[in-house]
Amino acid sequence: MSINYASFFIALIAFVILYWLLNKYAFGPLFSIMEKRRELVTSQMNEAAQTREQAIAYVEEQKKALENARKEAYDIIEQSRQTSSKQADQIMEQAKVEASRIKEDAVRDIASEKNKAVQELRSELGAVSVKIASKLLEKEVSSDKAQEELVDQYLKEVGGRP
Amino acid sequence: MHTSPIIELGGIRFDLSAILMLIVTCVIVFVIAKLATRNLSVENPGKLQNFMEWTVEFVQNLISSTMDWKKGKHFLSLGLTFIMFIFVGNMLGLPFGIVTDFHDAGHAHIFGKEIVSVTEEFAKHPDVEEVGVAWWKSPTADASVTMALALIVFLLSHFLGITKNTKNYFKHYFQPYWFFFPINVIEQFAKLLTQGMRLFGNIFAGEVLISVLLKLAALGVGGWIASALGLIVWQGFSIFVGAIQAFVFTILTMVYISQMIESHDEHEH
Repeated sequence: MSINYASFFIALIAFVILYWLLNKYAFGPLFSIMEKRRELVTSQMNEAAQTREQAIAYVEEQKKALENARKEAYDIIEQSRQTSSKQADQIMEQAKVEASRIKEDAVRDIASEKNKAVQELRSELGAVSVKIASKLLEKEVSSDKAQEELVDQYLKEVGGRP
Repeated sequence: MHTSPIIELGGIRFDLSAILMLIVTCVIVFVIAKLATRNLSVENPGKLQNFMEWTVEFVQNLISSTMDWKKGKHFLSLGLTFIMFIFVGNMLGLPFGIVTDFHDAGHAHIFGKEIVSVTEEFAKHPDVEEVGVAWWKSPTADASVTMALALIVFLLSHFLGITKNTKNYFKHYFQPYWFFFPINVIEQFAKLLTQGMRLFGNIFAGEVLISVLLKLAALGVGGWIASALGLIVWQGFSIFVGAIQAFVFTILTMVYISQMIESHDEHEH
């Protein structure tokens, strides 16, 4: 082994030149690219974190909105249920009132019809009685007004009893 | 063992194989780095760019393990250049070698210049039949190259220590007591020597063993089989050793730099 001084200095110079060339033409651009990528990754990660936060806030908001909508819907249903039951009650009440009124009318009608019928029957019965009496009495009893009234009075006494 | 092709120009002895391999290594490293960073993309990096980024992150972790990243980021390019240069250099000697054999001193010429190492070899041992000259080898199997790399680390770390950490730099030579000064000085030179020699020794030994295994093939069929098997195993191991040595050299660089620029005040009080 011996040191060759020419090789020694040539190696020294060659290495320095290689270092300079690499630094200028290869490593410099490479380092800047790597730095750029590092920045890109950092910014993208920040962006992702931000987006996630936004998404969480958005979901929270949506949840709240959904909750509100549900409550509103429930309220509306409740309200309509109350309204409908009230209306039904009202309708029932009206129907009842109507029914009772109709019933009363009917009862009144029946009563008046009955009275009328009784009246008619009575007058007819009077006439028939007079005829029967006139037949029975022949000539003694004429069919004039005074006698008819008398018969009527008797009949009233008889038939007026309920 | 083969000699190096050395020629003399103006009284200076140039090792042609070292120069050739230095150039080849530098070109390969630069081409790899340039190809990897040709179509740089932030969002859709290519395969080579990914590989290069992996290397960058590897060196980043390596630096972070020795010093504060704020200070260490300035040495990222240096660490990358070291690890790529040394790794490529270590690998170059493995797959093949180029050796020329000279049978007499008269033919040992290149570009019209005498290859002095060959003629000297013939002068020293007149009885040898031929002298092999290795043209292709790992540049890091040459102590001159590895010591040059180590010297860069040495100069850089001491320069940084003196300029950025002046007080502590001079103080640490006299710690823990003033008479430790010679030991501390020796330590600094020992660091320089061991860093260069470790790399050289590992790679040189690997290449020596490869050439020994190649010579084994001359011993007939058995030798040939043993040589082939040994080469397979040893080349695989050499790849591992080459990678480890590139890593070790780079991390030692970072450790030495961090020792020089980190102030030790906080540890003492």
